[in-house]
Formats: sequence, C-alpha cells, structure tokens
Amino acid sequence: MTEKIFNSIVGMEEENALKFAKEYLNDGGDPQKLLDVCREAMDEVGEKFEKGEYFLSELLLSGEIFKGIMDLTLPLLKESEVETIGKIVLGTVQDDIHDIGKNIFKAFAEAAGFEVIDIGVDVPEEKFVEAVKEHNPDIVGMSCLITAGINPMKRTVEALKEAGLTGAKIIIGGGRVDEEIKEFSGADAWADDAARGVRLCKELLGLGVEG
Amino acid sequence: MAIAVSAEQLAKERLTRVEAAINLEEPDRVPIWGFGGEIVAKYAGITEHDMNYDSEKALMAIEKFARDFPFDTLGAGPGGLDGRVFCVAFAEHDDLSPLVTFITGPLHDIYGDKYTRFPGREISENATAQFRGGTFMEPDEYDQLIEDPVGFVAETILPRVCKNLETPRDAMATWVRVGMQLQKSAMQGAKLGEISAKLGYPMLPMGWAYAPLDIIGDFLRGVDKVVLDIHRYPDKVKKATEALKKPIIDYALAYARMGNKYAFIPLHLNEYLSPKLYKEFYWPTLKEVILALYEEGVKSIVFFEGHHEQHLETILDLPRGWGIAYFEKTDVVKAKEVLKDHTCVMGGVPISLIASGTPEKIDEFVKDLLEKVKPGGGFILTAGVGAVPAETPPENITALIEAVEKYGKY
Repeated sequence: MTEKIFNSIVGMEEENALKFAKEYLNDGGDPQKLLDVCREAMDEVGEKFEKGEYFLSELLLSGEIFKGIMDLTLPLLKESEVETIGKIVLGTVQDDIHDIGKNIFKAFAEAAGFEVIDIGVDVPEEKFVEAVKEHNPDIVGMSCLITAGINPMKRTVEALKEAGLTGAKIIIGGGRVDEEIKEFSGADAWADDAARGVRLCKELLGLGVEG
Repeated sequence: MAIAVSAEQLAKERLTRVEAAINLEEPDRVPIWGFGGEIVAKYAGITEHDMNYDSEKALMAIEKFARDFPFDTLGAGPGGLDGRVFCVAFAEHDDLSPLVTFITGPLHDIYGDKYTRFPGREISENATAQFRGGTFMEPDEYDQLIEDPVGFVAETILPRVCKNLETPRDAMATWVRVGMQLQKSAMQGAKLGEISAKLGYPMLPMGWAYAPLDIIGDFLRGVDKVVLDIHRYPDKVKKATEALKKPIIDYALAYARMGNKYAFIPLHLNEYLSPKLYKEFYWPTLKEVILALYEEGVKSIVFFEGHHEQHLETILDLPRGWGIAYFEKTDVVKAKEVLKDHTCVMGGVPISLIASGTPEKIDEFVKDLLEKVKPGGGFILTAGVGAVPAETPPENITALIEAVEKYGKY
C-alpha cells in the first residue's frame, strides 16, 4: 500500500493519494511510516523538478496532496514523535508582499522534515533579527519576488551580522535571485525554485548528500 | 554627442532601428529597449508615493530619467498595476475598455480594490506598488464564468474585489469618480507624450492584451489555485479560457481601433506549466489573441516571464514577423537560435548584473552577448525585467547604454 501511496503522490494523482492514505490509516497502518513515505515521495517530486521533468504546477499540486495527507496523519502522531532535521526562520523581505514562492518553499521544506517558522511578508530587518534571536534557527530563509527586494535582502543579512547572529546559514530565494545577488547580499546560498532551495538547505546543514 | 541632432531626427532614427529589428532585419545597431522601475523615483529624489500619486512630480522624475539615460524607447512611465479584469468587465464598450487597463494609485483609492498595495497606503511610501491578486471566485462558479464572462466579472467579481463597488449605490459614485480620475490620467498621458517627443523618443503607440488563463490566475482564482484547478477541473478551466477569449480580443482590438500598432502582453503562468499543460490550457487561447491582433496589423510584444525554454518551439506556430518575444530568464542565445528569421528576440541582461554589477562587468557582458546574438539582426537588448531596483548605481545603466553603442553596430 505504501508503494501505491508513493506512486500516486509522484504521479500527481491527488484523489488516489488521499484515498490510499485514508485506507492505510483505517487499516491500522503506522502513521510514522506514512509520513516517511510521503516525505520520500516529495523528495522524488523535487528531484523530477530539478531534472526538468516537473514544473511549478507539479510542485504546487504535490504540496497540496502532501498537506491533505498530513491533515490525516499528524493528529495521530505525538509532537515529540515527528522528527525534524532542522529549523528555518522564513520570511519575505521588507517592501515585498509576495508569498507564493515562500509558501511553495515552505511546503517542500516541511515535507523534507524542516520545522519552518514563517514570519510573513514585508518583514523588516529588525523583525528577522528578533525572530532569529527568539527561535535560534539553523537556517534563515529570505524570499523576494520583485527586484525591489534585492537591497532589503542585503540589509537583512547585514543586520543579522551586526546583531552578532552568525550561527544560522542564510539562503535567499525568489524568481530574480542568482549567484550575483547572493554575492551582493552576502547570503550563503541562493535558489530560484523550491526544490533547489530545500536541497541546498540540507546541504548547508551537511545533510542529504546521499545518492 | 558630437553632432547635434534634432529631437525629431533622433526619434526617426530610433524608430527605424527598432522597426528593423522587429522586421528581422539588421538595423544600424542593436536597439536598446528602455526600462525603468524604482530607480526612476529615487534618481529624481522623490518617493514611490509621489511617483504614483503626484502627477507633476512623477512627470519630472520620468523626464529626468529619460533625459539622462537615452535608450531607444522610453522606459520610464507613470505608476500603475495590471487591472485587466476591469477591461473584461468593460469589454462591450470599445471607448472605455482600454482606459481601465491599469490600477493607478488614485484609482486604487477610488475602487478600494483588494488586488493591489500602494506606497503610502498599505505599504511604506518608498516601497514600490505591488500586485497581490487573491481568490475572488470559487471552483463551483466556473459555469457562471463560462456562461457569461463579462456579466460574471462585472456583476459578481468586481463587487467582491472592490470595497467601493459592493453595493449599487456605492458603485454609482465610484464609477463617476473613476471617470473623473481617468480625465486627469489622460492629461498626464498627453504631457508624457510631449516629454517623449521633446527628448527624441519614437512614438510606439502601445496597446495591451492578456492571456485568458492569466485573467483567471491573476484576478479570479489566484495563481496557486488556478494551477490546482487545471488538475482538478480541467474541462471547466479550458472552457473558461475559451469563454474569456472574446472579451480579451474585443478589448485588445479596441486599442487597435484607437490607432495603436503594438500590443504588450505580459505572461505569468507560462513558467508554472509543463509543456503538456501549456499546450493544452494556456497557449491555444493566447495564440488566438496574438493572431487576432496580427490580422489587424498589430504586432504583439509578449513578455515571457521567468523560464520559457520548455515552450520555445510553440512560438514557431505564429506567422513570421508576428512581433517581439521578450524573455526574462530564458537564455536569449538559445532563443535566438530557435527563433532565427522568425521572431524578433528581446532581453538578455540579467537584472542582477545591472543592480549589483560594475560598469566593467557590464561592458564585458554586453560585448560577449552581442557577439552571439547580433548577427542577422532581429535582436533588441534590454533588462530581463523592465524594473530595476532603487539603489541601482546609475553608472551601471550608462555603462549598459554605452556598451550597446560600442559593440552593437552592424
């Protein structure tokens, strides 16, 4: 059954994936195992995206399928049982109110096992600093869509450094970021899609270099 | 400039240059298409709020930018965000549908719309105006949209989107105020035309059009939701794009009847879709819009947002010389190979290079790029997106223009 679930997630069969997951749990299946299978499936979707076989529409749909299955699964797991692989403080930088990219990344990061603290959109430097102080994340994720977000990213990286918060790795993401913007902003990594973003987050923490 | 050239002469030279590229010929040199963005306000020392709400200051800023950065076309323009859903609502009125294409700052206040955020209103006065969209239609309403797209948008969607169109009595006052504001915008437009002519910019009378699926994504269901709808309710989505085709063509042709020879079509969902979905849900109706314009002698300038490599070949479905394919992140060298002698290719310079590079790096980049894309003509150089950030070093833009002068000659 878990194989059927895996295949229907990767195959973008939303109805089947939810139906099989429900059946699996009703038949006394292990919710932890289901979570693992779903995470593996999402990983596979991410890989297909990076290979150019899948596109944003598939990322969005699989994120939705994953969320649907998690709504059934997570209540059956104790919070302490849900293993996480790292913590990310995530927000769209100041003067940018867009959130679709941030939300896709968040869905994939959570599916990969990250705990994500979403601090919203149009987030000023001070709020990033406060959130990093409060949550002590492994990674700070900054998102922007519009070109006006480039300089706020740089300012936020600087603000974190000035506050002495150098423990977390910084990744920037969005349609208009690239290597040049990464250098400019002083971030540790960049991604212009969620799949690459999550892969790099794992790499930044020395995880997920398998296969 | 060594020899003083009259503004009129300059405009003629620029127009000839741009038209030659569009017609897939070699001009005297590669044209550089104008761009603007947040830098326009910053360069003139005004706020984004001024840019959107103070017509005099905005015109001053545009003039200063247009004077100091001599592209081949006018790049800077007054503030405004896409409001194409209003054009659908007015599609039965040729005299009005083009006028409501944009949601400007003052119109945003009058409508009370939930699509946009404006500087000094919902966001800080130095932030750029932004389109946010949202979900204003439920999946079970597709049938109504298909049955009567204009009526559904006008009577059901707009009252949901705009606080000041919620009730008929509010709507009466709102539309009168909109009309009065459009008069003011027209005056600003006329002044902009004078500035443009004075500075030797060519007249490129520009209308607008839109991809039917983007109407649903940007204005009705939300970008994330429409992508799910394609998987969940494929037939309905397809029928809805078919139904929206007519009002969009009517609106685009209303522009043509006003004498506009070009139509700008910014795309949004192209990058989201796999080739299969693109060919089934997006391209067929967009293609018909482009062809309807082409038949009336209007050339389209299509902005293929993000990556479009996966759909490049579909452009060959259009007749040779149909217009300009403007690419953001698609490799223009590859695009030019595929579209050679068929479609004029535009773009090439990443926004990141302009925003955070140096004049030397820009010079080197343009030299290298033009070596590859210049031969044979049919290429216009510009920034990957027409909006550069406020803090962009002005010398970078000058370096870009000079590099095109230097390396772009045929």
